[in-house]
Amino acid sequence: MRNEMGSFVAADNTKCTGCKACEMACFAVHNQGNHVGNTVGTVELPITARLYVTRAEELCMPVQCRHCDNSPCLNSCTAGAIRREEEKIIIDEDKCIGCKNCMMACPFGAIELVPVYRAGKEVLLPGSTEVRKTASKCDLCVKRGIPACVNACPNQALSLVTPEAELADKRIQAALALALTNQA
Amino acid sequence: MNYFVKGNPDLCIGCRTCMIGCVVAHEGLHIFEIDPDSYTFNPRLKVIKTARITVPVQCKHCENPACMAVCPENCIQLVENAVVINTDKCIGCKTCMMACPYGAIEMQPDSGHRVQTDGSPRMVANKCDLCINSKRGPECVRVCPTEALTLVTEEDLEKENAKKRIAAARALAEVNG
Repeated sequence: MRNEMGSFVAADNTKCTGCKACEMACFAVHNQGNHVGNTVGTVELPITARLYVTRAEELCMPVQCRHCDNSPCLNSCTAGAIRREEEKIIIDEDKCIGCKNCMMACPFGAIELVPVYRAGKEVLLPGSTEVRKTASKCDLCVKRGIPACVNACPNQALSLVTPEAELADKRIQAALALALTNQA
Repeated sequence: MNYFVKGNPDLCIGCRTCMIGCVVAHEGLHIFEIDPDSYTFNPRLKVIKTARITVPVQCKHCENPACMAVCPENCIQLVENAVVINTDKCIGCKTCMMACPYGAIEMQPDSGHRVQTDGSPRMVANKCDLCINSKRGPECVRVCPTEALTLVTEEDLEKENAKKRIAAARALAEVNG
């Protein structure tokens, strides 16, 4: 039985300055196949990041997918385009029909529909001049290792949360704290 | 982005007024004056009732429509934020019907009552067109007595996502202390 929890990237609002370096890094690593390199001059397609620097009156921080363990997006997908892969929730852009169910099901606003580009060119719908769109969201940089947003943040405001490790640390702290209460 | 009509199962009472409204909007009021047996009632949305849920199901006007991708005659096109079937070109092959994961397309006699050379009615794919030819917008939304149906636009989805992101950021900020 599956009992692992999905990792996710979480932001610290006390460190985020709203610079959007995370968004740019996210866009760049996911569009290397579209000839996007390290300079602005290489960008010939719309910038679509998979995390969203969000501003409210009192705070500013990026919001992204939590890779939920009981995923509303996966459960709402009628096309079988969202799968769980080693506790990561991944959208198969080739299977996505763009019905927007996942977008509406996600309580974090972590999914957007974006135009599809391959090798720097717009992909068109068959028999149409319209650009093909797909649901898009954080994949934890599944092909890279460390998520690009975490690496790019100049203030270390983003971290990859591994729930098991975090819980183990908290429990050790709790055990040590409890030991102090027994000394009297 | 395409628009679509969304049903709210918490409000739907299963009265099927939407289905009748849909037929009247597409066929005209004359359906009330003809012999019911001479006519195929062909709403483009279906009220689904199970033990757990009552809600109409209709086309989602997908961005990358499975129906459009498989149509061999290129009858399905994007028109004004909607996925629309050109029934004049439809050959009734049912491929779109099988491709749609929502069950939103079915085959119905051509509304022009045209017949084939063997005398049988011309069958065409039938699905929601968001009433793009009507100034009043989708008729199902207009006639629902419990306001269980809403037209969802790109702007609605963007606003909703923006609200969710702010709520998510505030919740995480609480955790961060």
